[in-house]
Amino acid sequence: MRRLRPAGSVAELPTVTFGHRSLMWWGTLGFMTIEGWTTALLVACYFYLRQNFVSWPPLRTPLPSLLIPSINLAVMLISIVPAYLVERAGKRLEALPMRRWLVVSSLFGIAILVLRWYELWSLNIRWDTNAYGTAAWTLVGFHATLLVLDVADTIGLTLFLFIKRMPPKTFSDAADNSFYWYFTVCLWIPLYLIVYVGPRIF
Amino acid sequence: MTAPDANLPADVTLTDAAIAEEAATLDAVWRDAPGFWGWLTSVDHKSIGKRYLITAFLMFLAGGIEAAMMRAQLARPENAFLGPDRYNQIFTTHGTTMMFLFAVPVMNAMGLYFVPLMVGARNVAFPRLNAFGYWCYLVGVVFLYVSLFVNMGPDTGWTAYVPLSGPQFAPGHRVDVWAQLVTFTEIAALAAAVNIIVTTFKMRAPGMSLNRIPIFVWAQLVVSFMIVFAMPAVATGSTIMLAADRAVDTQWFNPAEGGDSLLWQHVFWFFGHPEVYIIFLPALGLITPIIETFSRRRVFGYSALVLANITTAFFAFGLWVHHMFATPIPELGQSLFTAASTLIAIPTGVQIFCWLVTMWSGRPRFTTAMLFVLGFFFTFVIGGITGVMLASVGFDQQAHDTFFVVAHFHYVLLGGAVLPLMAAFYFWYPKVTGRLLSERLGKWHFWLFVIGVNVTFFPMHILGLEGMPRRVYTYLEPTGWGSLNLLASLGAVVIAISVVIFVVNLVKSYWVGDVAGPDPWSSSGLEWATSSPAPSYNFLHTPIVGSRHPLWEPIADAPVLVGLRTDRREVLLTTTFDARPDSRNHHPNPSIWPLYVALCMGVTFIGSIFSPYFILGGIGLAFIGLAAWAWQSSHPAGHELIAAPEAEPV
Repeated sequence: MRRLRPAGSVAELPTVTFGHRSLMWWGTLGFMTIEGWTTALLVACYFYLRQNFVSWPPLRTPLPSLLIPSINLAVMLISIVPAYLVERAGKRLEALPMRRWLVVSSLFGIAILVLRWYELWSLNIRWDTNAYGTAAWTLVGFHATLLVLDVADTIGLTLFLFIKRMPPKTFSDAADNSFYWYFTVCLWIPLYLIVYVGPRIF
Repeated sequence: MTAPDANLPADVTLTDAAIAEEAATLDAVWRDAPGFWGWLTSVDHKSIGKRYLITAFLMFLAGGIEAAMMRAQLARPENAFLGPDRYNQIFTTHGTTMMFLFAVPVMNAMGLYFVPLMVGARNVAFPRLNAFGYWCYLVGVVFLYVSLFVNMGPDTGWTAYVPLSGPQFAPGHRVDVWAQLVTFTEIAALAAAVNIIVTTFKMRAPGMSLNRIPIFVWAQLVVSFMIVFAMPAVATGSTIMLAADRAVDTQWFNPAEGGDSLLWQHVFWFFGHPEVYIIFLPALGLITPIIETFSRRRVFGYSALVLANITTAFFAFGLWVHHMFATPIPELGQSLFTAASTLIAIPTGVQIFCWLVTMWSGRPRFTTAMLFVLGFFFTFVIGGITGVMLASVGFDQQAHDTFFVVAHFHYVLLGGAVLPLMAAFYFWYPKVTGRLLSERLGKWHFWLFVIGVNVTFFPMHILGLEGMPRRVYTYLEPTGWGSLNLLASLGAVVIAISVVIFVVNLVKSYWVGDVAGPDPWSSSGLEWATSSPAPSYNFLHTPIVGSRHPLWEPIADAPVLVGLRTDRREVLLTTTFDARPDSRNHHPNPSIWPLYVALCMGVTFIGSIFSPYFILGGIGLAFIGLAAWAWQSSHPAGHELIAAPEAEPV
């Protein structure tokens, strides 16, 4: 082996970074890519099955209700605000406002999950009735698993902030949590249009 | 300071005593905990990579034994060694093992072991995720083989086509085993892929800009992206659709309720075709440094090789329908997929010519590793040519589901993946164990293996053209297929002998092989800049890279960066494009929680076969583990330097 020649020191580099400078952001992006792509494939399958039916929803199948899904969509869109405030507080290294907005985000998350339960039944069909029911339930249900994961992460982070002294990298983690929430909400917009509005159009 | 050439703090000196002390301190921080507990909790990419490699190799042997059983059954007409039911389970398990439990994991394992060493990092980006991926994979391995031994082995082929694998025609749990096994392997593959991508993007040694990444790492990077886009398709098909159709009566594939059995083939092959390239592209990365090293010159056409890699990956997603030419696909679609299937031969050809030029213009030394590379050229090109033949719809409809296809894909997979992998074993074994494999046994291994492969699989082309269908447990004497089948079975005996020699070589050399030293082949990659095997912390100091071949640079001493903390696990992160030093990252310590969460996944998915309530229970238990996992990593460590969020170099 060749002799080593020190050519510089990294001792003064930061240990807590935000956005694409942090590993966790990249991990989150990877997870988002996988989940987003899976959703895209499920949407493709939904439309593939659509070809097997003359009408959509199939004959004698009621249209999905719009009320609760529309309310939930509105709640989700509003929930971006506290998520953004969490991110902003995190990037400003303001612990207390960050914790406060995480509490608000957690409450939004719980409300959204409760509404999601009713949203599933707003499809007005069971998953095992026919392929239409299967595809619609799967799209809404799969997105629900993403919601559960992110809400659990948000609540966990919030609880940790109340019960222990957290390291500074938590600021960055909280910002990444918001980053993932934006994705989850944005992913829902086309799904809402496809599953709840779409059958009224095509 | 951040730039590699800036002034050093005055107190940094690298005397021998200082180096020894620093090495001891780093080892105390980075090594696994002692004993069995240390084995369970390890998050070291080398420990996990090694166990991945060993497990995958055991799966190769298991799949090989199943292949030998099939060849024993088919050696003569109307043989009664295996009955039809057992034969179905054996060929399904063989295919499933080789594709899901050997080929993909072994290539991931090579990446997980070597990418950090090749880019000069201390570990992968997400060490606990890495451990979690391995444990999930192991759960899958145990699950499949326990199922096989209790007569619950899957029996509808590794492709599990519906309606054969649907609830109507495959009652019981055999297909469920297959569907959930796939879930475990896809979790493992996705975890490995994300790890390799982020390690490559963010943890390269300073100076290793994107255009200086070793071809091996490029191949791993491209394949990891392929995994990210291919694995969700099989996850969708097996876990979300097939398993649900069987467990909770969804109607994805039931034509009576508007479902569609062809949908399964689309979803499966949208994964299944890229899968072939997921197995094959890393192998291309494996052979490049071998050819460079033993030709004694830099590889010809670095950029062409990288671009060919990326192009192949893109095309790989546009070929899946060529597996479905025997289904009612519109003519335009057939033509498109024929064209795409033929087109992919171009980037592959570019790579082959680059390697040939490298060898032709170098001074080749024919070590065992190099012989396996030559074996790869010969065998793989035959497989490639039959692939181009099968891309033609007319020919495919004649040869579909015959032994011709079996011959084709074994030439491609054995030639394109297994031979390069064996070359890689001979090349990198010294880096992993510190000892060289025996060249004498290696040459026996090589010649017997290549002869065995050709004697086994070449006759299958003819059998297929004569009309012998695949996946049949026997045939009648008047078909006249007996002698060629016997020949193929004798070839399998030769392969088995060669593999036994290989195993003897691996085991014997571990104890009595020649001591390798850090760089036994005078190679050029960073992995050879550290001792063999690499210490727990990989590199004492962060290397600085000035070219694509750092160890072939004509300089007297190796520039390094100092200043990473030695009292805790700390790694250097660099910018994505230019690999400029950007930040220091606190890396996790050993943890039991990845294993715990993987076991919870086992409860969830294996239990779901018997009752959907296991999903709730398993996920609930997993959340406890995930909370503990997060808790463990949230200890304030002190002395943190926080970057301003707006200062964001790329």
